[in-house]
Amino acid sequence: MEAAVWVIILPLLTAFFLGISKLYFKRIFFPLVTGSAIIYLFLLILVITNSYPPKVYSIGDWDLLGINLMVDPFSALFLLMIAILFFPFIIFSMKYNKFMKHDYFIFAYLMIAGISGMVLTADLFNLYVFMEVSSLSSCALSLYKKTDRGIEGTFKYLIMSTVGSFFILLATILTYYLTGTLNMAEIPLAFEDIPFKIKSTLMTFFVFGYAVKVGLIPLHAWLPDAYEDSPIPYNVLSSGLVLKSAVYALIRVLYIMFGVDFLDESRLLNIVVFWGVITFIIAHCLAYQQSNLNRLLAYSTVAQIAYIMIGLFVGTEAGLIAGSFHILNHAIMKGTLFLVVGIFHYSIAAVEIKDIKGLGYKFPILSFTFVVASFAIVGLPPFNGFLSKWLIVEAALEAGFVYVAFFILVGTFLSLTYYLKVIVTLYTKNEQELEMEKAGLSLKLPTIFLGSLCIVFGIVPSLPLSLINKIPEFLLDNEDYIRILLGG
Amino acid sequence: MSRLNERFKKLYKIGLVITFAVFLLFLFYDIHNLDSDSKRYLSEHYISEGLQETGATNLVASVLYDYRAFDTLGEATMILTAATILAFLVPITKATMFGTTFKSIVNQTVKLIIPYLAVLGAYLLLFGHISPGGGFVGGVVLSIIPILLTITYSVEFSEYIFKPDQKKLVEDIGAIGFVLLGLLGVLTGSNFFASGQAYFRTGNAGEVFSAGLIPYINLMIGLKVGAGLAIIFNSLIKEK
Repeated sequence: MEAAVWVIILPLLTAFFLGISKLYFKRIFFPLVTGSAIIYLFLLILVITNSYPPKVYSIGDWDLLGINLMVDPFSALFLLMIAILFFPFIIFSMKYNKFMKHDYFIFAYLMIAGISGMVLTADLFNLYVFMEVSSLSSCALSLYKKTDRGIEGTFKYLIMSTVGSFFILLATILTYYLTGTLNMAEIPLAFEDIPFKIKSTLMTFFVFGYAVKVGLIPLHAWLPDAYEDSPIPYNVLSSGLVLKSAVYALIRVLYIMFGVDFLDESRLLNIVVFWGVITFIIAHCLAYQQSNLNRLLAYSTVAQIAYIMIGLFVGTEAGLIAGSFHILNHAIMKGTLFLVVGIFHYSIAAVEIKDIKGLGYKFPILSFTFVVASFAIVGLPPFNGFLSKWLIVEAALEAGFVYVAFFILVGTFLSLTYYLKVIVTLYTKNEQELEMEKAGLSLKLPTIFLGSLCIVFGIVPSLPLSLINKIPEFLLDNEDYIRILLGG
Repeated sequence: MSRLNERFKKLYKIGLVITFAVFLLFLFYDIHNLDSDSKRYLSEHYISEGLQETGATNLVASVLYDYRAFDTLGEATMILTAATILAFLVPITKATMFGTTFKSIVNQTVKLIIPYLAVLGAYLLLFGHISPGGGFVGGVVLSIIPILLTITYSVEFSEYIFKPDQKKLVEDIGAIGFVLLGLLGVLTGSNFFASGQAYFRTGNAGEVFSAGLIPYINLMIGLKVGAGLAIIFNSLIKEK
């Protein structure tokens, strides 16, 4: 499994070489970025196809004494998301960003390295280190425009994310103090003798820390501000990958280290499901009030992540499959929406909803893509969002959360209202002449690619589901995971 | 009314902090009373077998640059990211520093100190695996040289001696070198960052050329940290 470690160090090396290329060899910038992205795509596909049964790669040949990387279907899902989003992101931002391209791509590659490190590692402290790499470079990208609003939003983001990191680090230190090991397979074995009270306190620290990074209400306040004036391709990666990687870390820590039985016993599953319901209802209501497109999509992200949390925390096999499917679908749908908004911003500097009045007739294909993606995110058939939402409702009903199923229906109507508001504005006739900068093919192609995935995954859901169906096997029952990591 | 309100807010904040502190106190008390000494096999192993397995007399270096070298890669990347962010945020225009002029005795002393600092930094870098020290410490000592120049003379003089581009280049070379040293393990058919297992054990423990890859990793980390801290300091001081 040599490729697993290359998935982490190739983006790191690319970022370091970009730093040199910025100073002395400006000409190799384009071949470096695109060439490395293409190689990276192949590496990701290689790792994803080899993810079942899970493989372990021991860094430095130290086995349990050092750090191990492990590829299982759940991490493969995240690598798949990187593979889908990263190449469109690069093509789009090459054209979209007009200044300081080197720094932008240095941070982007560092962020990707951090995220891939997070999803591959099987070591608690290594998880923390890579999380810091990804969130620090994510902060850097979100203030990239250096406008006043951007700096204010990023400052909030930085403070909140540091508070979250503090709790995660505290919990990590205490875990090491209690168990004497950082390996994710040995911690659950050593955890059996720890009293319930201390274990649940540790769990609370982890949940609080990651809930800040995920952005559950009332810990979400940084998210819309950070998205408001940041480069829009970054928003695609942030809502698609950075927030999701925090979800990944939370699920990995809770399901593997604590085990689903303990989660059930400590009532955490019920608490997070209830928290999720409150989050999406409030976030939908807040999204309805927004006039800024970026903020609207940011609140929509908060709501969608609440759906994901509900799916993952129902605690059954069906719930894990539904939540993981929604992780993938949300990355694609929200990516499409952000990219379309990005093109509107690029062409006519549109930020508010009223600015895009009548654009439906000027950009027919793009507006159609927007409509497709927003119907998918609302949850209308036959798009991909419908399927995963339906699976979440089914899983919630099966596990006995009847009120969740009802409120998801209410939430669907709420989200329909504000997306319809945008769509109606888009197709309202506007006589006013607009000064437009033409959006080239390099902006349109990534958008249409992601938009078409919305339809493809809606009609042929078996493509991603063949990978996703294997996820609960190594997550719900942590014994298999532990056995493989221990080298059985 | 507003004064009362403000005072209430202040009390509320202090109360929150104190509640959290008391809570943590009880938690630590509970944790401390648990019998967790039986679960120290990892640290016991590092202490008893570390010398044979890695060949480094400095135990910290053996954990930092051999057992858990991958973590160190992430941490060093964080310093590089911070330096890049600061260099990117602070505008290139140079602000004049506050007009402190030092007596000539200060200027002369700084000139005298700098060679000693260079020697000390180099010693800490190169002997990190057999004596206290290592890449991070050595890098910090080396970065004091440009920082001293900035403080006593000026940003302009410091950047005339050590050009910003050169510092950035040294930082990137340190980072790339670190990763490439890790890849040597892959080239010899072993795993990433393998040193002892991949035929890099040369010399006896206690000699300068021993402990596999650790001295070279120390050197790379030192370059990276030193250049990174110098960039960070100069960027911060240039800010208006």
